[in-house]
Amino acid sequence: MQSENGFYGQYGGSYIPEILYSSQQQILHAFEEAKNDPEFLAELNKQWQQFSGRPTPLTFCANLTEHFGGAQIYLKREDLNHSGAHKMNNVIGQGLLVKRMGKKRVIAETGAGQHGIATALVAARLGLECTIYMGAKDIERQYPNVFWMKQLGATVVPVTTGAQTLRDALDEALRDWSSSHEESHYLIGTSCGCAPFPEMVAFFQSVIGNEVREQSVAQFGQFPDRLYACVGGGSNACGLFLPFLDDKEVEMVGVEAGGKGLELGEHSIRLSHNLGQPGIAQGFATMFLQDNAGQLQETHSIAAGLDYVGVSPIIAHLAETGRIKMTYAMDDDVVAACTLLLKKEGIIPALESSHALAGAFKDAPNLPKDAKIVINLSGRGDKDIFNVAKAVEDETFPQFLTDYLASYPTTQNKGDKA
Amino acid sequence: MSQLATFIEAKRQNKPILSMTHVVYGYPSVEESLSWMEKLMEEGVDFIEVQFPFSDPVADGPSIVAACHKALEQKLDVDTCLSQLGKLAKRFPDSRIVLMSYLNPMYRFGLDKLAQRAAEENILGLILPDLPIEQAATYQSACKTNNIDPVWLVTPVTPPDRLAMLASQASGFLYCVARSGVTGHSSHEGKAKQTSLDDYLAQIKQHASAPMGVGFGIRERAQIEQLTGKADIAIIGSALLDAYNQGGQKAGIKLIKDLFH
Ligand SMILES: Cc1ncc(COP(=O)(O)O)c(C=O)c1O
Repeated sequence: MQSENGFYGQYGGSYIPEILYSSQQQILHAFEEAKNDPEFLAELNKQWQQFSGRPTPLTFCANLTEHFGGAQIYLKREDLNHSGAHKMNNVIGQGLLVKRMGKKRVIAETGAGQHGIATALVAARLGLECTIYMGAKDIERQYPNVFWMKQLGATVVPVTTGAQTLRDALDEALRDWSSSHEESHYLIGTSCGCAPFPEMVAFFQSVIGNEVREQSVAQFGQFPDRLYACVGGGSNACGLFLPFLDDKEVEMVGVEAGGKGLELGEHSIRLSHNLGQPGIAQGFATMFLQDNAGQLQETHSIAAGLDYVGVSPIIAHLAETGRIKMTYAMDDDVVAACTLLLKKEGIIPALESSHALAGAFKDAPNLPKDAKIVINLSGRGDKDIFNVAKAVEDETFPQFLTDYLASYPTTQNKGDKA
Repeated sequence: MSQLATFIEAKRQNKPILSMTHVVYGYPSVEESLSWMEKLMEEGVDFIEVQFPFSDPVADGPSIVAACHKALEQKLDVDTCLSQLGKLAKRFPDSRIVLMSYLNPMYRFGLDKLAQRAAEENILGLILPDLPIEQAATYQSACKTNNIDPVWLVTPVTPPDRLAMLASQASGFLYCVARSGVTGHSSHEGKAKQTSLDDYLAQIKQHASAPMGVGFGIRERAQIEQLTGKADIAIIGSALLDAYNQGGQKAGIKLIKDLFH
């Protein structure tokens, strides 16, 4: 969706410190040029196919459909991208743009670690230096991803300010960019931030919806009746929804993180239920979770990737105009949806994506049998093994961890052997 | 001419360079921050730049970020802050107060109301580093109506035509950022190319009729000597905060004396 000078209704824009003005303009122009350059687009397509494994399939879920007895349920399999999430689509796009702009270093922020891994992968492949900012709390929650980022050659910087989560990582990445903008590109992982990032990330992610358009017609002869996506920053939702924006018969549902409850600090619901307020921070205007004094607030979700205080200005605008319906799913329902998909279809979903599942599963039984719904499976659940084990109260997992730790060579043992 | 510019011009008649000192409102407590401002004004600083804390101060380095977060552990209120600053402003007619914050808390307060209340409390300038001039039409007109100055920033990487535009729109004074990056000592320092400060200031002077203040990374007397004759105000932010953190008001005042006397 195209903006008007970076604005989508009252949301979006570019509210950055003056020091970043030139770099922001450079990205704006580079993106404008690149998105109309057939050579760039051909290279992008090639990398999507050969590096990430696109197109991803549209999978019919016969067992789930039968289980609910309502709408026919399909999954768009973004979990099958290399590194296991839709984040790859955007990172490949921006990575190629970085080469085009002649910069040699990328900075990124990450919550769940999926964007961090994707950035580290692409940086390795394109020969770019890479620094990833990650909240110290998120590092604890998602250590396996941190491990891989480091193995890929990225520098992972724990952010210990504020609540030590995604929003603080984003602030710190912006600060790095302020002093290194001449050789560094800030590779934002979702459709947030100053213009043109929301539009650019949505453009790279739109490959999701574009494929669904073709695949749905080929597989069941029509566009889906309804689309579901989880909404953290909103990039996978933009990717699925935007290509269908003008197809009025296609309904769209965005699912936010209800977390543990509707008290401020317990959830990440910015759009549904009037819980967010309009604000301007981190480079753009959108609905933020904040107090009456305009201070941004802490958020919670069982899925680190949805734990963000703002939301894409594109999604905020489409929610306001009513084109997208917003809802939320609670942590418990999310774990239940995750487990149901495991048992019924043999697919391991990310906890982020399980929000979209939970939202869809609520509606599915009440929809007609010939209705077709597509749920965006934004990522796979391998990274969530620790959190899911805890949530389902698996009894054997703690024992495994204890035993594994006992068998782990300590620094001292290693020293003895060397 | 604007009230701020008039003040600066008058003071500059017998001072080669003016001092602007930065204080985070509410750090470590509201009372202590007000007492610190009072002390600085007793010491005769020309300006106090009061930062009203925001949860996500993206143009600031570690010292100021930490102070803002600490300050926000209390409930801070813009209107109360303005009244308290107004009292100080009245007591120290030889100094001026400018208010700095980020857009969101001020936007929630209301930009029109902010300009009006600031003027009522004799605060003559406002600095909002994340509000670019392109998005500032209403803010600018609110400032104009209330006869206070929106202070704009320029940086060493501001393109020449933009620099000319910002400098020509400047009233009160123009905030010249001395280097790329965030305020204070930063973990990100050293990555950016440095332009010659003298060339940069000379270039700004070509376009600016408003006085010039220079800040970011200033912590030594030699830096202030270098600015003398080329700028009107030297802005001391993180260095003062660091001194204060190490040795309280006493250490802060010692730094001011070392730098300016
Ligand atoms: C698997 C997965 N899905 C969704 C998200 C949320 O991002 P967005 O809302 O931008 O799609 C993340 C973010 O880390 C993720 O890892």
